[in-house]
Amino acid sequence: MAASSSPIAGDSTVVMIDLIAALEERFGSEIAKGLANSGFVITISLSRPQVLPALCKFLFWERGCQFGGIIAEEQSTLWEMHYAFLMADLGWINVELSVPLETTTLPSIVKDVHAADWHEREIEDLFGIRFENHPRLGDFVLHDQIWHEGIDPMRKGFSASRPQLERKEDLEWQPLLVVEDPGSFAMPVGPVYEGGIGESLHFLLETVGEDVIRAVPRLFYNYRAVEKVAEGRTLGNALLLAERFAATSAFAHSLAFCLAVEKIAAVDVPPRAMALRVLLAELERLRHHAGAITAICDSTALSVSSAQASIIEENLLRASCAFTGHRYLFGLNTPGGLSCDFGSVQCKALLVAVDKAESDLRILEKRLRLSSSFLDRLEDVGVVTGESARDLNLVGPIGRASAQHCDLRKACPYSGYGRYAFEAPSETEGDGYARLRVLFSEAAQSAILIHQVLESLKEGPVRAFFEVSHAGAALGWVEAPRGAALHWLRVNENGVVERYRAITPSFNNWLGFHVAAEDFAFQDFPIILATFGLSATECDR
Amino acid sequence: MSFWFWHGLRKGVQSTRYPARAENTPGVSPGRPVNTDFSSAEEARRAAAICPTDAIIAHGKSTYINHGKCVHCQLCLRSLPSPMNWEPGYEWTRLPSNRAESLPLPSAFAKSMHIMVVDAGDCGACLRELKQLNNPLYNMHRLGFFLTATPRAADLLLVVGPVSENMRGPLLKTWEAMPTSRKVMAVGACAISGGVFGKSFMCACGVSSVLPVDFEVPGNPPPPLAILHGLLVVAGRKSVGPVQESPKGDTAPWR
Amino acid sequence: MAIIAGLSLGAIFVVCAGGVLFSAVLGRKHIPAVLAIAGAFSAILMALTSAAVLLAHQAFEVGLWILDGFGRFTIHLDPLSSIFLFASGVVYFSISLFVGSFLRNQGDDAHPTLHFSILYFALMAAVVLILVAGDTVLFLISWECMSILCFLLINYDPRGQSDKSAGYIMLAMSEAGFLAVAVAFLLLARSAADLSFASLRSASGSLSPQALWLTFLLGFFGFGVKAGLVPVNFWLPRSYTAAPPVFVPVFAGITLNLGFYGILRLNADLMHAGFGTGLLALITGSVTALVGILYATTDGDMKTMLAHSSIENAGIIVAAVGAFLVFRALDQPVAAALAVSAALYHMANHSVYKTLLFEGAGHVEAATDTRDMDRLGGLARVLPGLSAIFLVGCLAISAVPPFNGFVSEWMTLQALLRSAILASTSVRIVFALCGAALALTAALAVTCFVKVYAMNFLGIRRGTWEPQARTQAMSKFPLAILAVVCLLLGILPTYVLPILSESVEPLAGASVTTALVQPFFTATPQNAQLPAAFLQDFHNLGAQTGKGFVPGRGLVVLLRGLEANPVVFAMSPSYSVVALALLLVVTWFVVTRLTKRRTLARRPLWAGGIPRLLPLMTYTGTGFSNPVRVVFQAIFRPNITEDTRQTVAVHFRTAIHRQREETHVVDRLLLKPIGAAVQWLAAFLAGMHHGRLNAYIAYVLAFLLLVLFFYRGG
Repeated sequence: MAASSSPIAGDSTVVMIDLIAALEERFGSEIAKGLANSGFVITISLSRPQVLPALCKFLFWERGCQFGGIIAEEQSTLWEMHYAFLMADLGWINVELSVPLETTTLPSIVKDVHAADWHEREIEDLFGIRFENHPRLGDFVLHDQIWHEGIDPMRKGFSASRPQLERKEDLEWQPLLVVEDPGSFAMPVGPVYEGGIGESLHFLLETVGEDVIRAVPRLFYNYRAVEKVAEGRTLGNALLLAERFAATSAFAHSLAFCLAVEKIAAVDVPPRAMALRVLLAELERLRHHAGAITAICDSTALSVSSAQASIIEENLLRASCAFTGHRYLFGLNTPGGLSCDFGSVQCKALLVAVDKAESDLRILEKRLRLSSSFLDRLEDVGVVTGESARDLNLVGPIGRASAQHCDLRKACPYSGYGRYAFEAPSETEGDGYARLRVLFSEAAQSAILIHQVLESLKEGPVRAFFEVSHAGAALGWVEAPRGAALHWLRVNENGVVERYRAITPSFNNWLGFHVAAEDFAFQDFPIILATFGLSATECDR
Repeated sequence: MSFWFWHGLRKGVQSTRYPARAENTPGVSPGRPVNTDFSSAEEARRAAAICPTDAIIAHGKSTYINHGKCVHCQLCLRSLPSPMNWEPGYEWTRLPSNRAESLPLPSAFAKSMHIMVVDAGDCGACLRELKQLNNPLYNMHRLGFFLTATPRAADLLLVVGPVSENMRGPLLKTWEAMPTSRKVMAVGACAISGGVFGKSFMCACGVSSVLPVDFEVPGNPPPPLAILHGLLVVAGRKSVGPVQESPKGDTAPWR
Repeated sequence: MAIIAGLSLGAIFVVCAGGVLFSAVLGRKHIPAVLAIAGAFSAILMALTSAAVLLAHQAFEVGLWILDGFGRFTIHLDPLSSIFLFASGVVYFSISLFVGSFLRNQGDDAHPTLHFSILYFALMAAVVLILVAGDTVLFLISWECMSILCFLLINYDPRGQSDKSAGYIMLAMSEAGFLAVAVAFLLLARSAADLSFASLRSASGSLSPQALWLTFLLGFFGFGVKAGLVPVNFWLPRSYTAAPPVFVPVFAGITLNLGFYGILRLNADLMHAGFGTGLLALITGSVTALVGILYATTDGDMKTMLAHSSIENAGIIVAAVGAFLVFRALDQPVAAALAVSAALYHMANHSVYKTLLFEGAGHVEAATDTRDMDRLGGLARVLPGLSAIFLVGCLAISAVPPFNGFVSEWMTLQALLRSAILASTSVRIVFALCGAALALTAALAVTCFVKVYAMNFLGIRRGTWEPQARTQAMSKFPLAILAVVCLLLGILPTYVLPILSESVEPLAGASVTTALVQPFFTATPQNAQLPAAFLQDFHNLGAQTGKGFVPGRGLVVLLRGLEANPVVFAMSPSYSVVALALLLVVTWFVVTRLTKRRTLARRPLWAGGIPRLLPLMTYTGTGFSNPVRVVFQAIFRPNITEDTRQTVAVHFRTAIHRQREETHVVDRLLLKPIGAAVQWLAAFLAGMHHGRLNAYIAYVLAFLLLVLFFYRGG
């Protein structure tokens, strides 16, 4: 493992010893503790599945771990389930569960870790493993009105290129509604967005008129089975997928993918490449946040502000293109570093553009703060309490607006983030305005980071050339613009992908969207949606 | 009290002069690889081999590009000892390979065209670029192009994304709900050929496998000006770019 | 004429008796036919009687026998009674046919018994007697008969399933009202020679203002109960909802009017109270209208909703009556005549369209077995004929031209605006506020009936009901007559107003037709009262176009003001309807011409790309009216109880169920406190009865001391 990306720092040894002692005392012989590997600092193997809920509860509630996600793998004879938890001051913990391939039911952990809800639903839908006591399985990734039950596309036996059967939509399909007030009905929104340009997703706004009581998104209209399609591809080809399934955070996801590859191959990335990766990741964050701010301004119908924010975004896109040759930073990350280097003239030009964007954003923020009509529409709208944010594991700016402080750049630094001085701003109100403030402050921090990188940039190679010559698996993580993203990669000895799993921030945050979208006036819906700034395609993969 | 009106006025006119004049600000377009003549057939073959989506076809010492497949990975620019030629510009709109010609919309729509956008599994880049068309720098309203919320009032169906299985039904429904004078434009490499996602149980290989496509705008993603060019072509105010030279005996896929 | 009136009036009672007789003789199977034929026939006779009186311009009066101690029973049919009798005749005609066809299609076991027939005809006779009674005793007796018959008909239920409480509440309120009315008449009669109305009228002038106020209050309460005024109308929605569908139209179209009749007869005819009483009536009416329409808009049950809407209309009518009383007391006869004409017009209109709507609701209930507007929907496809007729009723009650509701509501508001001529600022302010309340009411009425029509007839079917075949067989003819009447009353007000004007002239002391510009009614271009240039202008406007018609009245209603403001208002629904029809024809013509060469494609409903628009995704009645509920939260004061079911955690909720309970504002502010006070008193008194002998002796002693104290002076 690359030394620089090791999360162990400071008093981590103390934390580790403490954790091990507590595990020993609580679970004793039920578990086996393994060494650090694949990006995890510790692997806890379970002897039998029944211990799982108790262990996850222990980690999540008693030790205050953050839930990362579930990674299911079908090995030749057994199921390997990885439950990733992030422990502060320590790093990623891997709770590993191996059960025979014949197993069809596993205990569910949603009772204690609600954030695992969608992970379990996805695994049930795509692998066919049922989770005991999960309250709501079924219709998820594969929409029930077109897909029959019993299709498990992520199983190894399922061919991704299998010819499509002619499917007919089931017209009698009924959605699951929760509101039973007398006279309630569900207002359908989407999947073909009815307000200009928008991603494909569907809402049933459950209401008795005027006020919406509940709005739960129905996603996966954009599901392109990236994880399945990646299987059997070469690393370079799979990287294209990792980069292109969610273009607005393309660099972050390709970086996470490359970090995983580099961990498997135990390659050290040259320092200049690490620094430039930070630079590009922050450039992407800056541009993404400018876009998110545009969307928020747009949702409140304050057109001048949205026009000005969109000019900032477009200028950053142009600067990115002039700097890297692509407006969305495609084709830059490559296992071992970057595919090209940048000259000092280019860097200076970029710096000018970033400074311009930063000062424009500052002016915009000041003006928005003075627009009471704008603030009225954001304040106390779509409130997510810190408690629910923790409960449902909201990540990124949304989590940070609800007093969740986790930022992977600080919690377990990668690609040399530890070298730079920056802040992870957070707010406590959890409303739309708090989310907007977080976006503005993060954009400012990104500009600071870009400055620091360019000031300390040393000459040198930007790429370490290598071939993956042994089988292995690793976890790569980044703090994508929308929050923590985990990429799990398993390759065989020929450098061919065997299992690829991307846990994206949008996937985590969509799960918690309904908390913000409860009991609100109908006209606030676009605002709540915009302040969440989620991407359906990043969630769907 | 806020003075947004005043702040807006102070910014002045920001819009590009395109299509009256070419727009050359750095960064408006990433450019794209073009047909290249190498010094040896070996180099041409290497160029073709490095392309992950088989967009480059070697023919003797020359390589030809099928832009509908090019995903802008830039490998042919950065990872070859002698790189492919790269051209700036953005007037990329072309006809689908199975079409000899596509008529633009009737002239009544030339200065007032309503566009229905459907995201059929897009990665977000093409949608984002479409959104940019609404910003003051491109401001497609000045050209009479409007986004509409309902297919009933739409003249052009603009599809992005490779058509995911879950969006196939809604996409078809949108198309059926449109007036029959509709045109269909596939925007982005994914919508043209499936792009990096290829053909799978969840992805149709582009829009043409589901709907008759009239125009295509290649690029991954095509920059706003390329999409704007496409819209102008559909409106009959610009023509499709020159047909590229193709290897002998085969004309269709390189148009 | 008097002979015709007398004969046909007598014939009404004969036909009613004949109806009962035939019902008994022909047997149960033929009772629907008897009800329809005899009922319709006596309804025609009612119209004939009243028409005879109205055309003769002269009251019909006949004395009957003398009852010892009570004086002579008198039949007295003046133009005011005739208006009510005529309206009742028109409505009864439709109702009788409706009752017949409805009951015939209900299946054999539901056929009415002789019992029903007797009640029905007896009620009819009682209604006529109330309207023609010329003395207190006959009036009170027939009033009491009417109350009891209504009670019996509400609880008429051959299968014995329904809840009887609504009927008892109604009976209790009616009896309380009867007592108040009886006392009011006795107060009037204190100084009168006998109990006939004529004597009461002449004696009322000698009453003190306090006595007049007391009489007014008692009468207003007593008749207000029947008329459905706030706060004594809580029985009304309950009993309308509980009443069998065949009987509700009688309630809404006939007996409600008797309340207005009573108020008018007592206050407009028999006595002249001060303007304070008028203001009270005006305010009560406006509040009633607003409360009525608020609950109508938000109610989800079709019948209850229509009942609340009746309350609203009652409010409008009483507000107009109140305006009349104020204008008359303040010596503004023209405005007074205008107001009372508007009230009578609206009374007639309301009975017509409300009967139509209740009959329609009966059809809907029979077709679907539900009245819940959250579950109905898409009826236009199942019952296209009914849908069209019901639409007329909805448009009329929403005061949309060219139907009748527009004319009378417009005139009511215009009458209220006439308050500008009053001297007192405070009275003007009261008028302005009440006018605003009525305007809001009118706006909400549109919302309400858009909801009724859209949620029941348009869209897709939401409930699980299946359309019943037996309803298709039911005749739409009774409803269609009323729809035509709605249209006629709406487009020909110039023919209706002079009749109303004549009947209210003795009450107001002025004629509306003289105030409404002459040429447009009498078609004489040379009118000495008006400046020639003024006449010429309006002649040029085509205001006399109706001159060529029989009997040649103009088609514009126009109120003449002073020289500075010659035209106070003018309207012509007749011209409007012609203009609307022309516009429609032209539009249709243009559209067909323009699209002649186009092929028309019909595509499924666009719903954002979902497989199919499910019924659960369409607006419900509750959803449509929820904005009103939210805006008027302060009045509704809902008590929301939430019952949320979840598995595992809040995140996994499986059901959110919010039960919304509303106590009617009247119940909350009036009945609950009264009920609580009575209970407290009862509990206090019960506390005194604990069975201890020495305590009882102490009570007796205390009482004795009290008596001695009062009579200490001898």
